[in-house]
Amino acid sequence: MLKTFSIGGIHPNDSKISAGCAIEVLPLPSKVYISVAQHLGAPANPVVAVGDKVKAGQVIAEPAGFISAYVHSSVSGTVKSIGPRKDLAGNNMTHIEIDVEGDEWADGIDLSDTLVTAIPEDNKEILDKIKMCGVVGLGGATFPAHVKLCPPPGKKADCLILNGAECEPYLTSDYRIMLERSKEIVVGAAIMKQVLGGCPAVIGIEENKPEAIKVMTAAVAELQASAKGYDGISVMPLKKKYPQGGEKQLIDAVMKRQVKSMGLPIDVGAVVQNVATSLAVYEAVQKNMPLVTNVLTVTGDCLPMENQHNYKFRIGMPLSYIAEHAGGIPEEAAKIISGGPMMGKAIANLDAATVKGSSSLLYLTAAQTVRGVESACIRCGKCAEACPMGLEPFLLQKYARNNMTDELEENAVQDCIECGCCLYSCPANIPLLDIIRIAKGDVIRIIRTRK
Amino acid sequence: MEKLLVSPSPHLHTKTSTKSLMRDVVIALLPAVVVSVLFYGWSELLVLGVSVASCVLLEYLITKYLLKGTCTIGDWSAVITGVLLALNLPATTPWWVVFIGAVFAIGVAKMTFGGLGQNLFNPAIAGRVFLLISFPTYMTDWTKPQGFIGNAVTDAYTGATPLGLVSEGGAGAVEGMDYMNMLFLNIGGSAGELSAVALLVGFVYLLARKVIRPYITLSIWATVAVFSGIFWLINPAEFTDPLFNLLTGGLLLGSIFMATDYVTSPMSNWGGVVFGVGIGLITMLIRYFGAYPEGVSFAILIMNSVVPLLNKWFHTKKYGR
Ligand code: SF4
Ligand code: SF4
Repeated sequence: MLKTFSIGGIHPNDSKISAGCAIEVLPLPSKVYISVAQHLGAPANPVVAVGDKVKAGQVIAEPAGFISAYVHSSVSGTVKSIGPRKDLAGNNMTHIEIDVEGDEWADGIDLSDTLVTAIPEDNKEILDKIKMCGVVGLGGATFPAHVKLCPPPGKKADCLILNGAECEPYLTSDYRIMLERSKEIVVGAAIMKQVLGGCPAVIGIEENKPEAIKVMTAAVAELQASAKGYDGISVMPLKKKYPQGGEKQLIDAVMKRQVKSMGLPIDVGAVVQNVATSLAVYEAVQKNMPLVTNVLTVTGDCLPMENQHNYKFRIGMPLSYIAEHAGGIPEEAAKIISGGPMMGKAIANLDAATVKGSSSLLYLTAAQTVRGVESACIRCGKCAEACPMGLEPFLLQKYARNNMTDELEENAVQDCIECGCCLYSCPANIPLLDIIRIAKGDVIRIIRTRK
Repeated sequence: MEKLLVSPSPHLHTKTSTKSLMRDVVIALLPAVVVSVLFYGWSELLVLGVSVASCVLLEYLITKYLLKGTCTIGDWSAVITGVLLALNLPATTPWWVVFIGAVFAIGVAKMTFGGLGQNLFNPAIAGRVFLLISFPTYMTDWTKPQGFIGNAVTDAYTGATPLGLVSEGGAGAVEGMDYMNMLFLNIGGSAGELSAVALLVGFVYLLARKVIRPYITLSIWATVAVFSGIFWLINPAEFTDPLFNLLTGGLLLGSIFMATDYVTSPMSNWGGVVFGVGIGLITMLIRYFGAYPEGVSFAILIMNSVVPLLNKWFHTKKYGR
């Protein structure tokens, strides 16, 4: 029996149409727009001025607090402007506009693809590099990676979990890097596990990616046989079930432990990082390469096969540039998603720039995505059956509509991970998560002010 | 592509809808419907027709003219009530009695509570029990009407239900009754009680299509089996064995199709188990000690009324708590 998380979950069609498309490198555009808010936490402070010449990989904004991150230029050229520009949701955010000139990289960055397997001994130096290179979690939350790798005093990591589940339908970028950069990912894992004090590392991959399981297992075996510091790393195939890649679900699946309400993974000895983050850690520590590129999937059922792509992009490339390069936006597309169809964001502004965590341009047709008319709750319990947090969405939405905050807190609305399983499953088309999301925000605010 | 749609996640939705779920229940009922029509002929067709037509029509009229809201007949739930009510009546029931049952089921039990999703009691059972109390003679008239097939087999039948016989004469009254026969063709009783196999086929379909969860049905069966098993072991001359109790009367029809009604059963699995145990117990108490030979309908109605409590007591297991 393959492992999986114990509560709830759904089985949407996985639609990995672009799985067979090898990663292609996008050509440079004439301009990039680099946001100073590409991570969870405080937006970074720009440290360049208009007219400055910058090189690719050079710091252009510095963290503004403990939970914040460095931002680097992804191209070489001249800073054209620094000011507000609309992000993909249409909100104004400070962007640094750079006119691209040539492709010159900052000193000390190793651009070769030679695999470096020897792991530096000094953990402090490793953490510094991860921080200086602006590495953030690439699984969705974009939490600064070095913060997660320094457990607070008194807490110890028992297991590093690498998230290779890629449980969102359509997305294939993690799959491709697992196939094409498997060894680098394993080196990244070995680095992180050393920093965490040598706990075991488990790479969790869903069974619908047998190729990735095979290639990653082989990479682990090869590195274990040829280099030092790779013991205790293993690949764990997981059952296909959404949201397997949810942090709390993955911990339950791999370690059989559950994080307490409002708690952190490290409370149960778990540190979870995405495979793409592991690759970024490798690049940062072994190659001095800051996080200025990532892989993004261009896909959708309405897209012809030759227009499906997995692209390596430079951060700051406008989404419209990528869409254009991929062959244009299909006629039938009614909604374009950045991220997966379950938790991703609908794009309001296609001129928005890509950020570190960009993972897809997903085209959905009206037939796929337009919600049906809401009707009465038939009390079928399907939402509760689907909820991976064991909540009762039908109840929460009722309380939320009546502003019953005490009942909402008692029934754990604050534990909702916004996975969307409830809304996906409701036969009566009740906008469960829309309502619960707002209620959750209110309740968390109440809990915080109480403290 | 005109203008981009922007709305919150998730961006995909299941194909299962209220309508498709309800339609699946109707499909699951088809084997039982077909068997009852084949063996009870025109009279059963009339009962079914009147029942379904009046349920749907009443819901249409009430939602449209009385409540002036959205018309809900498109969701198939009125059809289910119609079919279930018909299957719960003897095939000989006069059309106007059927109609009164439908009025009570839809008009009183469903719509006065606010329609689908709000009703406390299962409408079909409420209708049936109302008729049982108001028109006891029609409701226990087990004369066998002329069927389309199998008249030679079924004419041998005496005009009382197996449970009725036991109620009067103890277990001895049904000695030698053939279980194989009961499984396929259990003559005597409401139309929908004819064939256990037809009902079980429907049960498997509902489970396979994930329309219902098995807990409620299975806990009813387990309770009935254990309860009757104990009495039977103590005194086999007086009491019938577990299999007899499972296959006779409305137990299968009730446990598969009516106790599992979403709206009137508990939300959580454990709540469902307690609900099922309650139905099983009350059914057996009525069968053994009550005034009626059969008690499934009463048992479900009684347990329907404690569902709000069960929903309060039993919740799903939460992550990390
Ligand atoms: S979105 Fe929240 S309430 Fe809905 S299924 Fe996910 S965790 Fe449960
Ligand atoms: S899934 Fe929808 S209809 Fe079913 S109980 Fe939940 S809210 Fe009600």
